[in-house]
This record gives sequence, structure tokens and C-alpha cells, in this order.
Amino acid sequence: MGLGAIVVMGEAQDGERAGVFPGDASVLSQPFACFDVLGRSTAQRIIERFVRADVDVVTVLQTAVRQDMKAPFTAFENVEFRVMRDAGEGVLQKLRHYSRNGIEHSFLILGNVYAETDLLDFYYFHREARQAATRAVDREGVLDLWVLDCEKAQTQAIDLQHLREAKSSDSSYFIREYVNRLSDPRDLRRFASDLLRGRCATRPPGREVKRGIWIDDGAEVHRRARIVAPAYIGRGSKVMEDTLVTRLSNVEKDCCVNYGTVIEDSSILQNTDIGICLDVCHAVANGNKLLKLDRNVVIEITDPSVMRSNGDTWKQGKDRKWGRNLLPFRRKHERQPTTDLQPATSAPKQRGLQAANLLQG
Amino acid sequence: MSSKSPVIVMEAPEKLNHSEAQAFLAELQPLLQSDRPRVVLDCSQVQHMDSAGIEMLLSCMAEAMKRDGDIKLASLSPASAAILELMRVDRLFEVFDTAEEATRSFQAVASPDVSQSLPWYSAGYGLADLKSAS
Repeated sequence: MGLGAIVVMGEAQDGERAGVFPGDASVLSQPFACFDVLGRSTAQRIIERFVRADVDVVTVLQTAVRQDMKAPFTAFENVEFRVMRDAGEGVLQKLRHYSRNGIEHSFLILGNVYAETDLLDFYYFHREARQAATRAVDREGVLDLWVLDCEKAQTQAIDLQHLREAKSSDSSYFIREYVNRLSDPRDLRRFASDLLRGRCATRPPGREVKRGIWIDDGAEVHRRARIVAPAYIGRGSKVMEDTLVTRLSNVEKDCCVNYGTVIEDSSILQNTDIGICLDVCHAVANGNKLLKLDRNVVIEITDPSVMRSNGDTWKQGKDRKWGRNLLPFRRKHERQPTTDLQPATSAPKQRGLQAANLLQG
Repeated sequence: MSSKSPVIVMEAPEKLNHSEAQAFLAELQPLLQSDRPRVVLDCSQVQHMDSAGIEMLLSCMAEAMKRDGDIKLASLSPASAAILELMRVDRLFEVFDTAEEATRSFQAVASPDVSQSLPWYSAGYGLADLKSAS
């Protein structure tokens, strides 16, 4: 008796988030689940949970082809990636395929839901309920997470549309643990702050150099940068001198926060360069786009010295030193010694407060 | 003796980029040359603002301050307000929802005839007060 899982990512989420922020609906170039939040994407976290629950095979159904969508999933064994035009049709095909190959039950999750529930308990609940589909609910309502009986789902012609429209019932599975619906950029931000606050079961990756401050591999934090816990600095990122990262902020991998800038209650998504002396507050920054969560607006920055995406240059390794093409005085600061962050126990140089590593727990 | 200049409301252009900002500044310059210029920039039409536009606002403000005047902003769109906040410029300006409110704010302040010849601490406190406080 096998157990499978189908993860659907794509159009459903895109449609839901459109119109949330006036100005530009395509502010995030891929589904929320594909963005790294504290080092790993939600999609990766979802798949890891299935793998840990000993699910035999996981299928990721992507309804629109996007660059680099497959990359995060290649690391997993027994994870198949498929691009489908119609998610509903893709789910039906997959259930049929599972059924033929001896997999009796399958989880189905839309990639916008992150739920830290005991998946095996959910599965046993479904098996005892003896129904074609069991939907998960939490205190806010229904979730796009089901366990399906592969055989019954086909005979009863249950499709994705039908499943999504169904309301909760007595035979729904109630989730008490942490849930994030990831339907809005605010949810992405909330997810980061919940992870940092320890409201989720998963912990941020990297070294916890001081209580509540996680620094991932290869990140460089200048000794005159101040990081106030809880905060996360992602893999290969650079935090330059006189910057402040505070109030549950996360700087994801391969980012650069430049001289004198303040990151407050914000998420800097991967491959984003933030220029000098800026205030990024209550926002999600992605490349040259800034979602101001407090003002409910998206702004696109055309000046690359203010904000830009470093996706291509970072990969090529040509522009590793940030600011080479930007304002000339940045070069001066780049020559300043930036150090790999030392554990909190290492003594700062005795040059007064200015020279101390101002990490604060 | 104070010479009160009228409050001038100027509508900022749709784009506050390098070229437009230069043209707008040229238009604004004569107004800023007057004694105590009091200018309200109505930003309701502004759709696009970049660092050149912000630089223009700052140079206008500096010019107005040199002559003991002020520049106030009105009807900022959320996007423009967000850019000003990002660039740390928002706190340098008084911002109002409408141009009328901004104009009224100029008129509401009965300009105390404190000229720049007086030292700053004499506006509210005597030097003795400061000494005693310390």
C-alpha cells in the first residue's frame, strides 16, 4: 500500500494575488512558494515534509513554465517535476497513474499552503473516514490540502475545481499546528517573522551567532553593521558597514545591503541589491521592486543604484563586489575590511564602539 | 518687520525624472528667489519619481530655507510617499493630504517675527533657562 503526494504550483496563486497591490500584479516573478524564506522555499519545505513522512513519490505539477522552477526540487529523490497546462487535468492523470502503480492514497496540496501538521495522522484520519477525499481545515477555514483515495477519486470524478469549491464538513481534518496560506505578499513576510520568532517547528538555517541572529554560510557582515535579533542573513549575502538590520528582518541569499541602509521589519528576497542610505521599512524587496506593506503599494525602482536584481551577475560571479557599476564612492567602502562574521564569543577589536561588531541579542 | 509673501501652489509634473525635474526647477526658481518663499507642491499628478526628482525637491527646500521660507508637499500618491520614505526624504517635508490643507497650514502659523539675526535659543527659551536646565 503506497502513499503519494501531488504538489500543484502556479496559476491559482497568481490569480489570487493579482490586484492585492495596485500598480503591478507581477511584482513577484514566481509563485510565493518558490521564494526562499530563511534559506529555503516553502515548496522545498512542503516536499521535505512529505519525504520525512515516508511518502513514496512526490509529483510537483507546475502550470506555467518559469525559469529555474525545477531547480529547487532536483535535490530530492522520488520527486518528479511536471509542467502541465491544466492543473486539474494534471491531477487526474497523476491520480490515475498512482492508482495503476499501486499507490492507493495521495496527498494533494496547492503550493500556496504551508501547514506543519502530522501528515501521517492526517492520512490515518482519512483512511478511517473511508471517503474519497478528506480536506484539511484550520481555525480560519478550509485549506487547499487533501488526502485522496486515488481509486475513489477517479470513480467519483472528483477534480481540482470540485475539491476547491467544497466546504468543510465533519469529516474534515482539523489542523491545530502552524499554518500559512501564502496568498498575499504579507503572508510571505509573516512567514519570515514567524520563523524568526520560533512560532514554526522549523528553525532558520545557518549559525546562530548570537541568540536570535542566524547567519548562513558565506554571508559577510561588516563589523560596523548592526544586526538586532531576531534576524537572518542568507547564504553569500553581504551586509556593509553602518547598516542596520532590525525588527524580524531577513536578507535572503546573495543579497547586498549597502552602506548606511536600514532594513526594518522587511524581507529582502534573494539576489536583491539595496543601495546606500535607504530606509526599507515594512516591505518586501525583490530585485528592483519594493512592496510597501504599510502603504499597500508596489514601486518599481528604475535607478539601479537604489535597488536592483543581481541575479545574472551574481551567478556569473563577475560582479561579486557590489557597486562596481554604481556610484563611484561605493568603491571606497568596499575596500574597507569586511569580515566573515565571528561567533559572538570572539572579542571585538578594541577601537571603541565604532569598531565593535554591534550584533545585539 | 516681516514681509509675508503669498502662498504659491505649484502642480508638479507627471514625471519627476531628470529632464522634467530640471524644467520644473527652472520654472520654480524665480518663486524661490523671493523673500520667505512659501510654496506648496501639489504632487497629485506625479506618477513617476526618481532620484533626480528627489534631488530637485531637496534643492528647492534648501533654496527656500535660505530665504527663511518653506516648501510643503500635498496630495502625494502612496507610491511617491513610499519612494520618499525609502530615500529618507519624507521626514524633511511637511506632507498634507490636499493643497488646501497645506496652504492653510502656512496661514495658520502666525509668523513670529523672529528673524535670522537672533540666535536660535532666543525663540523659545532665554539663555538663562538653558543654563539652569543644564
